[in-house]
Amino acid sequence: MTQSMTGTDDIDGLAAEYVLGTLDASERATVSARRQREPELDTAIRSWQRRLAPLNNAIPEAAVPSSTWQKIETRITGASSRPGGSAEVVDLRRRLKVWRTSAITASAIAASLILVVGVRELTPQPKPKNLVAVLQKDAASPAFLVTVNIEDRLMTVQPVAAKREAGKSYELWIVHDSLGAPKSLGIIDDAAAMQRPTLAAYKRDVIEGATLAVSLEPEGGSPTGAPTGPVVFAGKMIETSN
Amino acid sequence: MQTPQEISSLLALVARKDRAAFGAVYQATSAKLYGIVLRILKRRDIADEVLQEVYVKIWERAADFDPKMASPITWMATIARNRALDEVRRKKPDSIEDHPEVLNIASGEDLAIDEILKGEDGKRLYDCLSRLEPDRAQMIVLAYCEGLSREDLGTRYSQPVNTIKTWLRRSLLQLRTCLSP
Repeated sequence: MTQSMTGTDDIDGLAAEYVLGTLDASERATVSARRQREPELDTAIRSWQRRLAPLNNAIPEAAVPSSTWQKIETRITGASSRPGGSAEVVDLRRRLKVWRTSAITASAIAASLILVVGVRELTPQPKPKNLVAVLQKDAASPAFLVTVNIEDRLMTVQPVAAKREAGKSYELWIVHDSLGAPKSLGIIDDAAAMQRPTLAAYKRDVIEGATLAVSLEPEGGSPTGAPTGPVVFAGKMIETSN
Repeated sequence: MQTPQEISSLLALVARKDRAAFGAVYQATSAKLYGIVLRILKRRDIADEVLQEVYVKIWERAADFDPKMASPITWMATIARNRALDEVRRKKPDSIEDHPEVLNIASGEDLAIDEILKGEDGKRLYDCLSRLEPDRAQMIVLAYCEGLSREDLGTRYSQPVNTIKTWLRRSLLQLRTCLSP
């Protein structure tokens, strides 16, 4: 590259330094304003963001103060804070670590419904109100998002990217070592988000420690009451604080 | 860390103002984003405030996220870095003596440089950085990860600010050329 002073390179150099972070305050403000009306500059900035993004991997995570989540909630609610938020976040953080470890074996879970949910909390934790499970085939295919209100056991299933095969049904199962065999939670073919009270029969700690799995069954659901088709999506319950 | 696909799915729900999904996104990403802003800002009190603003922005702008353009963590990291850099450049930071709580993490010594190698893009970037003169590569990494300004770099490398600027631009141009398909 020999024409380092051409207009194009100047814009690109500016974009690069903007993304790198070395511009001073007024230069940053100028670039930030210019990119709104200069698509070329905006594109150059986005390209540099992509190029340098792997550097983010070098930065170690840092423990977030437990009070921060509640402050964020308050800000997005624009109302007074809700009680109990931060304690739940601490609890959730701990559990998420467990979940992350489990996520490594997600494909193994998907391969078979026989699994051991081994890690339990040793001490009772403040109970959260909501649980979420992202059901996916593998890293490339999130399919359903399931939210559970732990207070009333109300479950909402939202399809994210699931496409149904003709003549087949998706059946949702709850899996927990205390349950023995997977228990059906019903057919989840409807395109719209759905709510079903079918978790009422399960204890709180079972729901909290459960894995949800979706199997592909003949239309209308498994004829036997147990999964007969392949498990196509699975995910562990994790807690959220609202 | 949840997979990028999971976080993308969650962000799609956040765009529809789904609080539970937002909570899950926060749980999956806040330690990373806090690491990013803390490293640039060096002070927990300011970093905490900035992190809140970052997540409010994520809540408000989740609809702008396009998984075809960037990974979700890159998108969120960009919001975090921009906000942190605006803050750190806004005024001359107070001296360390005034704030004993300032973290001594400006050295870059505890950066996990090998982690850059994650993924194809990372391997290419690492390879291209390796082709720069070692101090130029280090300069790029320190500027990006630690938020060092041209003045900071000038002090560190005992060079006038204009020289630093020239080095940076030249190194970035070399990087771009090296990374071009």
